[in-house]
Parts: sequence; structure tokens; C-alpha cells
Amino acid sequence: MNELNFEVKTRHRKKLFLMCMCVLLTMLLLSVRMGYLMIVESDYYLARAEELHERERKIKAARGRILDTNGVVLAANKTVCTISVIHSQVEEPERVSEMLASELGMNLEDVKKKVQKLSSIEKIASNIDKETGDKIREYGFSGVKVDEDYKRYYPYDTLASKVLGFTGSDNQGIVGLEAKYDSVLMGDNGKILTLTDAWGVEIEGSEENRQEPIAGSDLYISMDYNIQMYAQQLAERAMQEKQAKRVSIIVMNPQNGEIKAMVNVPEYNLNEPYELIPEPVYEQETKDGETKSDTAQQTDTSVLTASTHMDQLNNMWRNFCINDTYEPGSVFKMFTATTALETKAVSLSDTFNCCGYAMVADRRIRCAKTTGHGQEDFTHSVMNSCNPAFIEWGRRVGTERFFQYLGKMGVLTKTGIDLPGEATTIMHKQENVGEVELATMSFGQSFQITPIMMLRIASTVVNGGRLVTPHFAVKTMNADGQTVQEYTYENANQAIEPETSATMREILRQVVENGGGNKAYIEGFSIGGKTATSEKLPRGTGKYISSFIGFSSVENPQIIAMCLIDEPQGVYYGGTISAPVIRQLFENILPYLDISE
Amino acid sequence: MGRSMGRKIKKKGKRYFDYSLLFVVIFICGFGLVMIYSTSSYTAQLTYGNSEYFFFKQLQADLLGFLAMYFMYRVFDYHYFQRRWAVAIFILSIISILAIIPFGTEVNGAKRWIYLGTVSFQPSELAKFATIVMTAVGICAIGNKINKLRYVFLVWLIIGGLLGVMVYAITSNLSSAIIIFGISFVMTFVAYKGYKIYMVLIAAFTAAFAAFYTWLTNMVKSGNMTDSFRLNRFLIWLNPEKYMEDKGYQTVQALYAIGSGGLFGKGLGKSLQKLGFIPESQNDMIFSIICEELGLFGAICVILIFVLMLWRIVHIAQNAPDLLGTLIATGVFAQVAIQVILNIAVVTNTIPNTGVSLPFISYGGTSSVFLMAEIGVVLNISSQIRLEK
Repeated sequence: MNELNFEVKTRHRKKLFLMCMCVLLTMLLLSVRMGYLMIVESDYYLARAEELHERERKIKAARGRILDTNGVVLAANKTVCTISVIHSQVEEPERVSEMLASELGMNLEDVKKKVQKLSSIEKIASNIDKETGDKIREYGFSGVKVDEDYKRYYPYDTLASKVLGFTGSDNQGIVGLEAKYDSVLMGDNGKILTLTDAWGVEIEGSEENRQEPIAGSDLYISMDYNIQMYAQQLAERAMQEKQAKRVSIIVMNPQNGEIKAMVNVPEYNLNEPYELIPEPVYEQETKDGETKSDTAQQTDTSVLTASTHMDQLNNMWRNFCINDTYEPGSVFKMFTATTALETKAVSLSDTFNCCGYAMVADRRIRCAKTTGHGQEDFTHSVMNSCNPAFIEWGRRVGTERFFQYLGKMGVLTKTGIDLPGEATTIMHKQENVGEVELATMSFGQSFQITPIMMLRIASTVVNGGRLVTPHFAVKTMNADGQTVQEYTYENANQAIEPETSATMREILRQVVENGGGNKAYIEGFSIGGKTATSEKLPRGTGKYISSFIGFSSVENPQIIAMCLIDEPQGVYYGGTISAPVIRQLFENILPYLDISE
Repeated sequence: MGRSMGRKIKKKGKRYFDYSLLFVVIFICGFGLVMIYSTSSYTAQLTYGNSEYFFFKQLQADLLGFLAMYFMYRVFDYHYFQRRWAVAIFILSIISILAIIPFGTEVNGAKRWIYLGTVSFQPSELAKFATIVMTAVGICAIGNKINKLRYVFLVWLIIGGLLGVMVYAITSNLSSAIIIFGISFVMTFVAYKGYKIYMVLIAAFTAAFAAFYTWLTNMVKSGNMTDSFRLNRFLIWLNPEKYMEDKGYQTVQALYAIGSGGLFGKGLGKSLQKLGFIPESQNDMIFSIICEELGLFGAICVILIFVLMLWRIVHIAQNAPDLLGTLIATGVFAQVAIQVILNIAVVTNTIPNTGVSLPFISYGGTSSVFLMAEIGVVLNISSQIRLEK
């Protein structure tokens, strides 16, 4: 063809063949290398790759419910939805934004911003109720994700808020029974191991490795919804009528410590635990200055710093019956009287002549009745709630025996109630107690205990002398209705003799039927009780706590109730304002509980 | 040998045609399309909202490639290269590489493409083709002088050297430069009479590399190694998982893919590493996905098919009617062999990472079109083999 074409020589062929062999050899070596990677090292790389691909997703376990003694659900779960968008899967960002904005009632611009944000997954809203979530899912827009989740729900909003407590965003108990029994209620979360792509998006249709969650156990408590509800209404009414700061009512079975109701008004809404309840503003019958200061407080709320806001919340969540202490005042005379009888320092026939005051060391301690009660026997000294008489009874008991019985009746330790944050008794050291201290302690002043402690002392006095443990939890049940655990409490410790207790019950009946507690008397029922009016510290500010403890029946006490009115306006005598509350309570719950003479 | 100089051999009915080569090429292209769809559909859906995006682009390129192949086989007698066509292609490739400087488009931080309207074009692929035809024509032009060593060097310098250096300097595409040098090395090796100089060169290179490797591993072991930019590539090669967060990421991900394939793989389409873990897994790293989905068995089948293809090309080179045909076929053989070997070596981390595409399988239009055109040339050579009898 042309002279430039040369013949292909044997050496060319030989060299080509050699080249070919080199290539084959190299490929063989590469195959060996691949064999090494894919057989010998396969397990290692497979494990590393799986680690990279698998994502663990938690499946929340349903939290156990809280039910009252009759099975009324006080804390339940409801299904809520979390709405999010997966950026890369959204096909119609405009329509998706509009739909979400209108369904969720959100600002269109805000939603648009979130939808258009370049992130793998963007949360639009959480805690959306299931109906809305289902509706959004039905639109069927790609890239819109509706995840279902459980949220704690309290059907009765404010009912027993300070007892039940609430849960946080992770469904963990924060205060109250929710916190105390968190481990029981919580259950075990399950998990789903899903395969994801490099952006963390789950791969559709891939196999899931699922570990089912175990639901938490239901907690049955001794609280009775009906009693709690009625007590709360009474407390609210009393607070309103007396324009008080707060009102607490505790109802308990003195025989075993089961608490039937524990009210602390104002109660907060458990479904909105982070919303401060407005301070009660009492327009009428208050002095002008005070109304102003109330309004001033209201304006302050808006400029609160974060820390004081948290303080306010904490204060709102506080259960005064157990978290705070107070000077019990005259109801504590139950203790002094019981100790005096038990130690035989005083007998029922002993009399005392009250002239309106008593001299202790160099101090003059006045009686409530400044003109004096005159000659009175032991029973009447209790009925009259006569301070000078009790100073005498206390003196006869003596410091040592007084403290011995404080110990026996559990005043120096905690009651052991199953709620978090029980406050301890603030008491004199025994070696520092002189004449004056002993005298004031005898009628319930100069030391502080919690209301629940006071109620337990009263229970011991009337139940035959046994020390009970106040409590709520009765048992836990799993989702299949099998009892998981029955709670037992210490309540057999004999602190005083049953005879002394019987005597005290009769005396306390006299208090209600013929003495200072007569406003708690209901015809046809046998009721005992004791009143108290304690002036708050510092003295002289005109702030009082009025209280009353009543029980029924006197022969066989099945119920004991306490009412505390904190800072009532106007009349502040416990016998006048607290005793009627207990009477109204008893009028309803004694027939309900079938307690009669 | 019995063959005389190439004469007109296209006689009716006596035409030789290497069907095996054609079918191997068609098979590999088809397999490549399947793998491109498999590797790219997920990410294409995410990025372009169209899972067939890369598949269709590659299909277009493959169809264009078949046209080019048919043209080179049927219309373009490979002897035309001697009529200035080789020089024209050589000059055109130089111009196109130079054109990158003003007109190049940067993709992923590398300026390697020229866009003509919507069609992208990678000059380095043309440079490989130019190297093959220009070296072949050059060696034939200088005739017996090729047996003098200085002419061998001259051929290296003027053709492979010039194009290789330009590709490396302008597009900083080291792998293409290496392939261009490799093609010229293999072609002159076949054309040149002796063996000695090649043995010396290979021995020298091996010794130098062994020395470098020993030095490097000692440095790493003693902890004297500071992360220097130039040596990074080698440090990653030695211990890719240490650099996983950065430059070693791709290598490690490829190893995960290969390792998780096992003996028979996860099954076609079931790779997880392609879901964004290996960036652009349809490109240079496609072989790792083949390993993951089809296992060692599938990977070795792919290698065997390449071996079959190379064997057919070598067969045609052996029997070509003249030296020009032999050399061109050798060049094509060299390019395919070097790319396959380098690609698999990189993916398995046998050598330091450098971006080499797997011929006919990796996504890339320019590469496919030129490779098919080269196969067309080889088929044209085969059609001029004079059948005896």
C-alpha cells in the first residue's frame, strides 16, 4: 500500500505475548488481593460497614398509668404526633408549607423557612394531637413525616397536682409520685435498628431489627378520686371565702396510713405544668395598700429573670403538706396530753386553775382566754385548749420524758411518706431545752413539723397507739392485669398504750361535742378532733395558720382529716374556720365510706 | 512470515470480523449500564429527582460510542492515520488541552472538562487516543531507527511525554498522565528490538519504590512523620482508616463495600455503600460496588471478561496485516489493561489512590466514546487480516 508499512516480525509477537503475560499475572495478583479482602477480611469490613449503616431508634415504652383506689385513671398516656420534613424527599415545598401551616395553625413564613432549610430532617412541630397528625398523613405528601409518640396526660387537670406530679419531655417523672415511682412507671424502651443512607435517612423496605418495648406498670394508689375532688372543692371554697394564701386538706386512714386525699390549693394544671398560676387577687374587703401590692406583683411577673421564674415554678409545684414545716400550735396538745397520761404524770382527775396567764421563768405566757378558765379538770383543759394548763402538764412530764415520747411517736424522724422531698422536723436540742422551751413546746410552739407529721401524731393518738406510715402506693399491675408488687408499710410499732389512746379519743370527742371544736360536730356521727390557731413567724404580722384535725368514728377511727388554712383574712380561729371545712367533708365522706357510730 | 505487506484485502465474502471482541464490548457496555443504574439511581433520585439521570446520560454516550465504533470500523481505514490524520488528532488534542486553561469548567475542584453547549468533553481522553495513533504512526514513520535507543526516548518525549506532562500540568490529572506514559511505554516496548533497557527501567523503578516504601514505613513507625501534603497520598494508602474523616474516606468506604461483598455479594442492587457513603460511586469506585453486590465471584467474572477482551485485542495485534495495525492494537490493549489494573488496584487500596475509571463500566461519556472508537479501529484492523486459504 505504501512504503511506510512494515512487516510484523516474530519479535513483535513475542513481546506482545510477554506483555500479555505480565497483564495476566498482575490481574491474578489483584484477584488474590480481592480474595484476601473479601474472604479473610470480610467479617471485619462487614462489621464496620454495618456499624455505619445501622441506626438505633428508640421506641418509647408506654408509661404506666396512675389509678385511684377505685380504678379511676388519674394519669394516663395519649398518643401525640411529631411532624417533620425530610428535605431531600419533599417534592412540592410550596404546597407542603401551605398545608402544614394551615393544619398546624402556624405562620406560613416560619413553616416555609423550615421546609426549605437544607437539613436531612427538620422538625416542624411536636405534641400534635393524633387527629391532626392523621389528617396530615392522609395528604400523602412525600417528605412529610408523622411520628407517633406517647405523652403523659392528666384527665382531671388540677386534681391532686402536687401529689401526682408530672413528667418531662422524655416522659421521666419530675416531681411527686411520677418522680418517686419513676422506675416502676417507666418501663423498658424498645429499639429499632434500621438501615440508613449516608445522610441518615432510613431506607424504605429494608429489614428492621426490632426489640419490643415493655410497658411500665400501672400504679394503684390509695387516693379516692371522689374524696380528693370533694376536698379540693371545699379547700377552694375556703380559700376564696377566707381570702387565704393557700388551703391544704389531708384525709387519711389512721389505722394503716393510706392517704385518701391530699389537697393543696391553689393546685396547678398538670397538663401545663410550666404555666404559672396567677396569684389570687382578692378585690373586696382588702385594704387598699394590699391590693396595690398584689397588682405590683402581677406586673413584676412579666420582667422576671429566668432564675426567679424557675423559683416561682418550684414554689407552685411544692406540696406544703410534706415539703414545708410549720408550728402546729394547739393540735400538738394531743401529743402533750397523751404523753402526760401515758407517763402518768397527770391523771384525768387532776385539776388546774387558770387565771389567764402563766409565769414561766421570768416570762408571762397568756392564755387565749385572758380572763382565765378558772378551775378545770384535765379533760376540760383540752376542751378549752388552755395554754397555762398545758404548760403545767408539760412541766410535770419533764423534758426527758417529753423527748422520749417525741422519739416514740416518730416526731424526730421522717414519716417515710412515699413522696419526694419530705421535710424534717425542726426541734430544739434536748440539752438546750429550758423551762420556757418546754412550756412553749407543750402547746405546740417554738418548733416546726410538717402537716403530714402532725396528722401521723394524731393518728397514733387515736388508732390505739400504733405508728403508721402515711403512703399512697398500694400496688403495681402490669399491662396484662397481673399484680407485680404489693407495697407493705411499717404500721405495727406500738408507741403508746391502747388504753391511753382510748382515753384520748373520748377527750377529743368532748372537744368536738362540747369544746372548741364544736363547729365540726355532725349529729348522728361520732367525731373527735382538735383545733389550732398558730401565729406565723415573725410574730405580730397578723398572719396565722388555722387548722383542725378531726377523726371518726371515736370508737373505731377509720378516717382522720386535717384542714390547714394559711393566712386567712378576718376571723382566723381554727375552731371557727377550719373545723367547718372538716365538718362539710365528713358530712359527705362518712356516709360514702360507710362510717357511722 | 508468510504475510506480505498490507494490500487491499477487502474481498467480498472473505472479510474477517472479530465477533468475539464485538460481543465482549457489547456485553461490558451493557453490564456497565446496569451497574451505573444500580450505583447511581438512589443518589440521582435525591440530587436530580430522577433515578435514571446518570443511566440515560451514559446510554447516550454509549450509543454515540457505538456510532463512533461503527464509523472507525466501516468507514475509516486505519491507514488513514498515516495520511496526516494522526498528526491532526495529535495537534487537536494539544489544542483541546490548552483550551482548558481559558474555557475549562471546574467540577469537584478539578478543571478537566470543556463544555460545548450541553455536551461535556474531557481532553485527556482524546490525549490517550492521540498518544496511541501518533506513537504508532511515528514508529512506522521512523522505520528501523526505532531500534536505536535514542529514537525510543524521542518517541516518548515528543508524544507521550508532551501529552502526559500537559495533562498533568494543566488539569493536574496524574492518573491520565500515568496512563499516557504507560501507553507509550508499552508501544515502544513492543516496537523496540531489545529487552535490556526495559528490564533496567523496571528494575530501577522497583528498587526506587522499595526504598521509598521502606523509608516511609520506618518514618511512620518511628512517629517522625508529619502530615506533609505531598506524602499524604502515601500515608493514606498505608493506613486509610486513620485518615477516614478526611482524604482517606473514599478509600475506606470502598474497602467496606468490597469487604462486605464476601464470596457471592449482597445481590444486584442491594449495595448499601452506594447510598451516599461512597461519593459518586458510579465513577471511579464503581468496581467496589460490583464487589459488594456481586461478591468475589462477580468481581472475578468481570476481570475474566476484561481478560477475554484483552486477549482478542492481542490476537488482532498479533495477526494484523502490518506493523501499524499491530502497534495501534497494542496501544488500545495497553490503555484498557492499564486502566483496568490501576482501577482495581486503587479500589482495593493496593496502590495509593488516584482517580482512574474502569473502562466501559465507569460513568463517563468522553471515555466511553473514545474507547469504543478505539475498539472500532481495532475491528477495522481485524477486518484487514488476510485469511489464508
